[in-house]
Amino acid sequence: MITTEQRAEFRKRFRYNVNQRLITDKIVKIIVFACVIVAIIPLGSILFEVFKNGSAALSIEFLTQIPGAIGTGEGGIGPAIQGTLLIIGMSSLIGVPIGVLSGIFLSEFGDNRFGKTIRFFNDVMAEFPSIVIGIFAFLLIVLVLGNFSIWAGTFALSIIMLPIIARTTEESLKLVPITYREAGFALGIKRWAVITRIIISSAKSGMITGIMLAVARIGGETAPLIMTILGSSQFFAGFNGPMDALPLRIWRLSLLPYESAQAQGWGAALVLILIVLSINVGVRFLFLRNRGKASFWHPRREQKWQR
Amino acid sequence: MAALTNMTESTSALSEKKKYKVIAENITASYDEVVAVKNVTIKFKDKAVTALIGPSGCGKTTLLRCLNRMHELTKNATVTGRVLLDGEDLYSNAQDPIIHRRKIGMVFQKPNPFPTMSIYDNVAAGLKLNGLRDKAVIDEIVRGCLQMVYLWDEVKNDLKKPGMSLSGGQQQRLCIARALAIQPEVLLMDEPASSLDPIATQKIEEMINELKKEYTIIIVTHNMQQAMRVSDYTGFMYLGDLIEFGETRQIFENPRNELTAKYVQGQFG
Amino acid sequence: MTRLIDPHLDELSSLMAQMGDLAAKSINLALDSYLVGKNARTEVYELSRQISRLYDQVGNLTFEMILKYQPVARDFRLIRSSIEISYAFTRFGRYAYDIISVRDMFGDLSECKNDIIYTISGEIKNMITAAIRCFATLDLEKAKQLQTDEDLVDKYYKRHLPMLIDSKNTKCALADALVLRYLERIADHAAFMGESVNYIVTGNRKPN
Repeated sequence: MITTEQRAEFRKRFRYNVNQRLITDKIVKIIVFACVIVAIIPLGSILFEVFKNGSAALSIEFLTQIPGAIGTGEGGIGPAIQGTLLIIGMSSLIGVPIGVLSGIFLSEFGDNRFGKTIRFFNDVMAEFPSIVIGIFAFLLIVLVLGNFSIWAGTFALSIIMLPIIARTTEESLKLVPITYREAGFALGIKRWAVITRIIISSAKSGMITGIMLAVARIGGETAPLIMTILGSSQFFAGFNGPMDALPLRIWRLSLLPYESAQAQGWGAALVLILIVLSINVGVRFLFLRNRGKASFWHPRREQKWQR
Repeated sequence: MAALTNMTESTSALSEKKKYKVIAENITASYDEVVAVKNVTIKFKDKAVTALIGPSGCGKTTLLRCLNRMHELTKNATVTGRVLLDGEDLYSNAQDPIIHRRKIGMVFQKPNPFPTMSIYDNVAAGLKLNGLRDKAVIDEIVRGCLQMVYLWDEVKNDLKKPGMSLSGGQQQRLCIARALAIQPEVLLMDEPASSLDPIATQKIEEMINELKKEYTIIIVTHNMQQAMRVSDYTGFMYLGDLIEFGETRQIFENPRNELTAKYVQGQFG
Repeated sequence: MTRLIDPHLDELSSLMAQMGDLAAKSINLALDSYLVGKNARTEVYELSRQISRLYDQVGNLTFEMILKYQPVARDFRLIRSSIEISYAFTRFGRYAYDIISVRDMFGDLSECKNDIIYTISGEIKNMITAAIRCFATLDLEKAKQLQTDEDLVDKYYKRHLPMLIDSKNTKCALADALVLRYLERIADHAAFMGESVNYIVTGNRKPN
């Protein structure tokens, strides 16, 4: 038991160093803030530069024409835009379903040795250098088919997307408390229905974020595209030939020594950023607009029920 | 003459089984190597409330979860024994647990309405997600269940609002309505009022009193006064064993077992 | 660690012990004074009043315990029985006063033969002591004994009361009848105490 005198002694000790702790607190706060600013500065400056240099090049012609003769500053990046949209779309068609299903498997059925192994390989794949994946796709698809094609590009990009989506899906599903699954089972609802109709709708937000991250990632990948779709100055010409994409076009334009080419390069970069941004906003709007209706759930908001 | 005697014997055994809606026979349940329920046998009467009391960790919740085969969903959880619902063993291998879980509803300690669903959808979840499509029937069931839990008047104009927008006591009643929607015959309640304020608790208890006219209710509770108010029969468990079982009045006025007397008088646990 | 209810149970026990003492004292005093013809009305009245006051205290204490702690099992049986037994104690006090008042009301009773009363009063005094002891120690044997004693007193009462019809001295007969009646009631309450003790220990009023 602590006596009254002891208590008074102890109190003196705590209250003594309060000022020191307050100062430490402030210093750490400042340091943390500074770090955040330091982290944001590059991002901010990139965005600023791209907008500054790229907006000048924008025009309808720029967005819809094929590239003109090198150095003339005529033409546009129409094929590249089309190519990027096509390849993002096709890769997502493969990568998203497989990734989500893998994530569901890992979260709901993966609490065992097999699951651990899958998870391990998933993480390894996520860390693969994308150029290695590009070479792999080159060897497997391009050489076998005999030509550069969208198949190869899709193959490479889906491999890059998969681990990201699988992991984020798994994590989002794991965030949903077990009690909702139990409630579903207690109602005699089949396992798969519990997962798709109850759990996934709760985890929607996190899953969409993961998918958008993956889409943004592959939207900007350049190295694998070099080996798989090669690039082209024409609009999409079929599934068995090379095609253009924005990262490739940006790269090629930036290597040219002409001012006009550089300007077009900035424009292309701006367009790429805008495309990724609008996909993000659009998807969120479409899938998460039920906020008013049902998505009141938030881990911290659970405290509300105690009222 | 002998044939006649045999017949009366078996019919009386049958009627015994019929008097008891649920019979848990020799249930032994464990998590990994830890045995949580040790060879417990209890008979639960139909259209009555049976309470399971005991200190934390005595196995009452585990036993409850064995009754609707939820225990085996936990990793490394094992259970042996039989659970007879109207004479039919739920654990015989021929039966898919899903079917049985629809006969036995469960309400959990913390209210857990499905977060992305409205009030209406929550109550209808067990129906819709099990394949029922007839909207008229669903409407009727939802309304009936919400009335049974005395929630209808409070929410009838807000059925599309999210389930989580209700207060704690209302959410718990919503969960009970959800459990009732699948028309179970037995209702299992795991400390249903322990996270609620006294007024909400009172409402839940009044509701249980009404429900027991139609359902067999088995309730696990920490609160002995609640067990006294609400239940007809009480079982006291300690460290996995069923120490004593009998009519609530007898358990609390004149417990036969020394351990039971100590527990109900607050001398431990 | 002691429970919240335990100090109150101790207090209850102490109050009951006090009431028991006073009850025994009042009966003893009343009977002895009656038999020797002494007037002890004021003292007995005072004792009876004290018993009443303690009864109120017991009432408040037991209700407080029930409201606050919602006791069950043995605690509850003990508290319930204490309420009943404390009432029995007030009856003892009351009957003691009634007995001593007889002499007051009827005047001089020196010519009456008191042997009927004399015989039974010893038995009654023992019964009261036994009942109080029985409650204090929760002794089931004593409880059983009280039932037997009460049967005896009952028989005695039923035998001697009709005999008073033929008595020549109306005053004495009436006095005897009244006192006999009071004594029978006292024995009844003492036996009731035994039943309560049985209830506390076993949960049943009558031993099976």
